[in-house]
Formats: sequence, structure tokens, C-alpha cells
Amino acid sequence: MPPKGSKKASTHVPPQTLVLDNGAYTLKAGLIPSASANPTYNDCRVLPNCIARSTRDRCSYISSELDGCKDFGELAFRRPVEKGFIVNWEAEKTIWEHEFVEARAGLRCDPRETNLLLTEKPNCPRELQKNCDEIVFEQFEFAAYYRCVGATLNAYHSSDTSSVSSLPQECLLIIDTSYSDTTIIPLYHGRLIQPAVRRLAVGGKLLTNYLKELSSLRHYNMMEETYLLNEIKEAVSFVAPSTAQFSKDLERTWKGRLGNKRELDSSIVVDYVLPDYERSIHGHARPHDPVKSRMRRGLQPLQGPREDLLPQGNERFAVPELLFNPTDIGIQAVGLPGSIIESLNVLPEALKVGMLANVVVVGGNALIEGFMERLEAELRALVPAEYLLNISRADDPVKHTWLGAARFASQPELLKGVLVSKAEYDEKGSAWLAKRFVEGDR
Amino acid sequence: MPHVELLPNSSSAAAPGWTYVVDTGYDPSKVAINPKDRKRAAPRGGPRGENELSARQQTAIARRIAQLERDNDPKQGIAIPGKPSVPKTQNARRIIQYQRQIKHWLDDEEAQMAQQQQAPSSRATAASRAVAQTPRRPSIMPSGPPTPAEATPAQADHAEPEELLLSITSSMPPPLDQTQLQALLSAPPLSYAASHVAPPPAGGPPQRQFCDNCGYWGKIKCLKCGARVCGLECKEAHEATRCLKWA
Repeated sequence: MPPKGSKKASTHVPPQTLVLDNGAYTLKAGLIPSASANPTYNDCRVLPNCIARSTRDRCSYISSELDGCKDFGELAFRRPVEKGFIVNWEAEKTIWEHEFVEARAGLRCDPRETNLLLTEKPNCPRELQKNCDEIVFEQFEFAAYYRCVGATLNAYHSSDTSSVSSLPQECLLIIDTSYSDTTIIPLYHGRLIQPAVRRLAVGGKLLTNYLKELSSLRHYNMMEETYLLNEIKEAVSFVAPSTAQFSKDLERTWKGRLGNKRELDSSIVVDYVLPDYERSIHGHARPHDPVKSRMRRGLQPLQGPREDLLPQGNERFAVPELLFNPTDIGIQAVGLPGSIIESLNVLPEALKVGMLANVVVVGGNALIEGFMERLEAELRALVPAEYLLNISRADDPVKHTWLGAARFASQPELLKGVLVSKAEYDEKGSAWLAKRFVEGDR
Repeated sequence: MPHVELLPNSSSAAAPGWTYVVDTGYDPSKVAINPKDRKRAAPRGGPRGENELSARQQTAIARRIAQLERDNDPKQGIAIPGKPSVPKTQNARRIIQYQRQIKHWLDDEEAQMAQQQQAPSSRATAASRAVAQTPRRPSIMPSGPPTPAEATPAQADHAEPEELLLSITSSMPPPLDQTQLQALLSAPPLSYAASHVAPPPAGGPPQRQFCDNCGYWGKIKCLKCGARVCGLECKEAHEATRCLKWA
């Protein structure tokens, strides 16, 4: 039952908003005072959304504590977000409390005096949305709250950086290639066109796991080294510029037949020097040196520094290739350019033209070298020649959705229209809340 | 030639000798019932395409993809460090104590949708359902208006050529239909399963095959399990390690 005085409190909107882009791999969070100046990427903190446990030093690390971790070997992760949706509230609650409630500095805030703007992935099962709403109000007791699909808030980036416009962009096609999957999200005046949302089940997680599997098969057992393989993926992987170039690169990294060995092309093949967690925490890549890698198989010098090398040949480009050819490992789906076209085919012709003229790519996979060039080239080939195609990568693809949300939150008149206060929730319940967030009165 | 047609009869007694059996094509469920029956299973499968996979390979691939898509390692339970704070309400306690994984929630959602389809609620209007249904058939391209490229030369034949060349209306898409737009914007979200992209079209390029061991083109098919390898060296490595998987 709501306390007696809650009616009075409902008119009062707290002056600050916690903007939280709750990703599967990292949380993007920042406190935004209402009516603040234009927020920037610097106001955003990126925190790992996981609880990690090391079997070596028997320590557990919650979210930002990972910064102090000195040994990432055999680190096991517990991630509360699965397939992009918050599933395990036991872990997520611990992380939120650690970062927002109990933290000594940084993002510390009192939820009772703070609004929460929380983003989610599209097509979230309703039961999970309901759980989320109930935890936000009943466990954390945020003063007011709004939950929406994160990509929609990207429409509030104004093209003109000098002026803050409260009007969303008319047509915007967001391609969110993130940790869990890649979603294609067409927006019209900042509203989601639900029937055209498409999801390609290839994301950063799949790529890391695939690289882990390949490296374990070909070199050392790396199945427990998720952190390391993710680091290697980020450091060395690239997308081949075209399918033809992919074949050429594959040829150049081939070892050749028995009795007809080929020299590996050191412009592609690299040796990744693995960290030993004594002198180095992070590894690094350097061009392939056949002499040294042969030495690796034989004897290492007893004195002097030992080093372990993980050669990366066709793994470098065959792994991110899954975004464009998921069938390479048997995933029955068209590639990313085909998915975009599939999504657009749901829309009327005029909207299609508008969407193609304004495509923005967000999400961590966009940082893979060559990704944008390949996507643009393949999409251009699929789009009618007389259509304008404007595709760009957000300045910071990881924080971009957060920044859009922050810009939205910094405008009190926009925020006031969507926020639901705790008093309203106590009075009308979670079913009403879910309906209100779906229909929205924006 | 008289036309001979075998009519399926249900009263066929199992007698020694031979009998007519209704051939309903390749049935993977039969293979699963009697996996030892290799000699007979092969011809029963009929002429299979070069790239078609056996049921066993398909399950192996599906299992592998599921493993690659996993967020959490099911083997390792990582406990929450420190003393957990007390849930403030009964509801919160219940939600925090859930140990379900995403697949359980998605299965729940599917089951609920199936239930709703059997007994459609009176509140949902026919119109909104029609909109929700359209994108569920992603393999068929909607027959939209013809692209401007096709429309332009056809009209130029029997009209004043210059005016048409200068006019931009032909290269403009038809204006937005407001009712269609409203229907699109107000449509309910798709279910998680329905939001996935369609499989590649049947007429498209065939699936690329890679060596199971080194990742080069898979030019040779392993006789035992059907996986691809690139040469003798990789074939040996494959037989030593991976091939047993499907044995």
C-alpha cells in the first residue's frame, strides 16, 4: 500500500536522472541533471556488466572491480543479461547496488531522489519486462522511471550540435551490432516501427566464442580464456572488404599441401604474444615470424624471457565474416545487408527511401576494422541505384545510444511526458505500467 | 501400358516375404529410432543433394551454434560475493530468486502466444492482428509498387518526352499512406522468435564449406562423418580428433 503522503510526492520530479543503457557486456551509465547543458560522451561511464570469479586467486570481482584485476587467466563470468534481456536479477541487483547505491564516488545516487531512464532491447518477453519494472520500483524504489527500446533514443541526436532540438529525427535506421546480437531498428519520428524490427543472431559474444573454439582446436586449449580471446578478437580481427578478397586472403593464409608447403603471408598472419600474468597483464600482436614459432614447438630457452605465441591466420577475418555470412557455420540466416533489406521490405516505398538516406550503425562490432566499408559496399549493391544511401558509424558506437538517452533526459519537457512516478505505480500496478510503456503517449 | 497405382491399405499384415510400404519420403524420425541400421538407412534416404545434411549432422550443428551463443557457462555457478541485501517486498524476493535462463522465458512466451492464438481475446481487433501477421512471412517479398527505374521508360513513349524527362514525380516514391503508416506504428511488438531474419533464399549461392581443421576451403568430404577437410594433413588431424564426434 502506498503511504499516505505519496500523492504529494508524485508532483515532485527529482532534479537528476540516472541514464542507464543496460547492455549484456557493459553498462553505460551516467547521472544527468535536468535541464543541463548538452551532455557529451565524457559524462558516460562504461562498466562491465558481470560478476567475475577467478579460480586462481579465489577472488570475486563485481563490475568495476575488474579494473583492479591483475590476472585474467581462467576468469569465469556470470552475466545477468542473456540474449540482451535482463534475466538474472540476483546478479543484476548486486551490480546495480554496487555501482549506484553503495559506491563511494562515481555514480552514487539515492534512488528515491533520482529518475531512472532504462533502455532495453526490442522484442523483450513481457514477463521479463514486468520483472524489471517491479524490481525498479519495489526493490530500488526509484522516484520515477521510464523504460524504452534504447535505439529509439538515438533519434534525439540533433544533426546540428550547437542547438538542442527536442524534435526527433523523421526517418532513422539504427543498426545495433552489439554483444548479444545484431538488430535492425527503423524509427519514424523517434517511434519504433515494430513489424520491421529484425534480429540477426550474430553478435560479439558469438564471435568471441567462435574464436575461442577455433584457437582451442588449432593451438592451445583456450576454452576457459574468454577474457583473453575477447581481447585478441578486438585487437586483430578485421572484415575482408569483399567476398572475392576473402577468398584471396584465405589463399594467402593457407599452409599448403603436404610436400608443397607454402610460406604464410606475414602481412595477414600475426603472432599474438600471450600474457603470462606475471610480467604482463595484456598481450599484443606482432607480425608472424616463422623462426620464432618453430622455436615455440621445440625448446624454449631455459634462461631469459619465455613467451607463448598464438598464431592468428584466417581466424582474423573468418570470425567477423559471420556477420556477413552466418551460413559459414550453419546459422540459417541471411547476412547483415540482406537482413537490412528484409526489414526495409516491410515498409512503404517512401519510408524506405528516407531510412536509407539516414542509416546509423551503433554497437561494439562496428569498431571491427573494415566493417563499415564492407557493409556499405554490400548494401549499395542491394539497394536500387537511384536511391541515396547514407550510412555512417556513430562517433563512439558503444556510448552512442547512451548519449541519445542522455540528450533526451536533459530536456525536462520530454522527460516529464514519459516518466512514471512510484506513486502512480503503487496505485495502478505493473500491468498498467507495461501497457503504458508499450503504447506511450509520445 | 496399363496404369498401375498402389493404393495404401491399412490392413497389411506383417508376413515373411515382402510387402508394399507407403513411401512418404525421407523421414528423419525413423533414422533416430534405429541408428544401428546404417546399411538400410543410406538407400532409404534417397538421392540426397551434395550439400544436404543428415539428421545427425544437423543436430551436431545446432548444438554447436547453441554453445557458441551461450552467455553463461552452465557448469560454473558463481555465487554472489558478500552478504546479499534483503529483498524489500515479496514480489522482489520472488523475482530475485528466479534461477531460470533465457530459454525458459522464451519458451514461456511461445507457449503463451500459442495459447492466445487458440483463444483469441475479444479485445484484439482484426485489423491490428492483420498487421501483426504480415511480417511473419519473411520469406516472401511483399509486392510493393514498381521501382521508379522500371516506370520511367514505359511512360516516356507516349507522352511529351521533355516534360517527363524534366519532371521528378516519376522518380519520387508514392506518398505515404497515412492509414498504412498508422497501422505500422501502432502494431504490437513481434515475439522474440518472430523477429529473427529469414534463412537465405533457396536460389542463392550455396553454403560455403570450410576445412574442419584449418579453416581453408573444405574440398574433401570425410567419408565417415561428412565434415569437410582441405587435404591429407588435415584429414589425419580430423580423424584423430573431431571425426569421432559423429561416430
